[in-house]
Amino acid sequence: MAIVSLTERVCVHEKKWVSMDEFMHGLAFGQILGPFSLNTCTFVGYYLRGPVGGILAASAFITPSFILVCLLSWLYFRFHELPQLQSALNGTNPVIIALIIVAAIGMGRSKVRGKDAWIMALAAFAAAALFDVSALNILVAATVWSLGRSWYRREHR
Amino acid sequence: MGGLVKLAWLFFKIGMIFFGGGYVLIPLLHRIMVDQLHWLTLKEFLDGVALSQLTPGPLAILATFTGFKVAGLLGALVGTVFIFLPCTVLMLAISSRYEKMRDMELIRNTLDGLLPAVVGLVAAAAWNLGKTSLVSGRDFFLLAAGLLILQFTKVSPMFVILGAAVVGLVFHFS
Repeated sequence: MAIVSLTERVCVHEKKWVSMDEFMHGLAFGQILGPFSLNTCTFVGYYLRGPVGGILAASAFITPSFILVCLLSWLYFRFHELPQLQSALNGTNPVIIALIIVAAIGMGRSKVRGKDAWIMALAAFAAAALFDVSALNILVAATVWSLGRSWYRREHR
Repeated sequence: MGGLVKLAWLFFKIGMIFFGGGYVLIPLLHRIMVDQLHWLTLKEFLDGVALSQLTPGPLAILATFTGFKVAGLLGALVGTVFIFLPCTVLMLAISSRYEKMRDMELIRNTLDGLLPAVVGLVAAAAWNLGKTSLVSGRDFFLLAAGLLILQFTKVSPMFVILGAAVVGLVFHFS
């Protein structure tokens, strides 16, 4: 996540818009839903200029990537029948799968701790890979389960 | 118009359960776009992931690619806005009153508790995609090379993907 450390360097150290503590809070909240690089930008924008600042920061962060992907998509759907482009893209497919495996390993190392967590991870894997259950349903089920457990622990401690 | 509304609603729903970083989008979008709606072929989906990794933005920019395929530039815009809408609204709400740490803690615990499922889903996505798209020996060779480079070096995924494209081009992968 090189882009987050770049955001930190500019917003905290160079421009001194937010303190390090506040930036770290933003980063923590940013992991709840969606991509945290975008969320951190929203947080800093909100901190400086309120809701409009937040929306503006988020839009500005996503715009260059949006334009680049639109351009690449246009080229792709127009020219993907070219044999040379086909060959190049075929070369990337195994690497994309490698990237997904590496992501799973990285997340697994930091997020799957203890027996319960392993059971949940393996159950989700088995349901999605072997029994063809939709990822959406698995995610909703895991959320309900985890919310219930956290709630129970908070009320009974 | 009806197509765009359907697209917006679909991406909005995905945006609402978009936990644990961008990779959970791979199983979600694969299932919905490739298996259920047939808006993308498996090949297009994998190529779209490759293209989205060539930008500094999050993996969720895959929504732009999918929207583009379904309804052109307007579809790309609608897909992008609606997948990011829930997380941006939530972030604005949190930023405006982030002293309420009690409820925050409940949310954090819930999130930590469901992340193992996300890990399982991402691993299953690699399994499901690999099962159909890895066919020849050299696919597995590239997979192994990619795994070693991405796991044990700090080379940016962008360069690994571009490198793999050059390998594919030079050796005429078909």
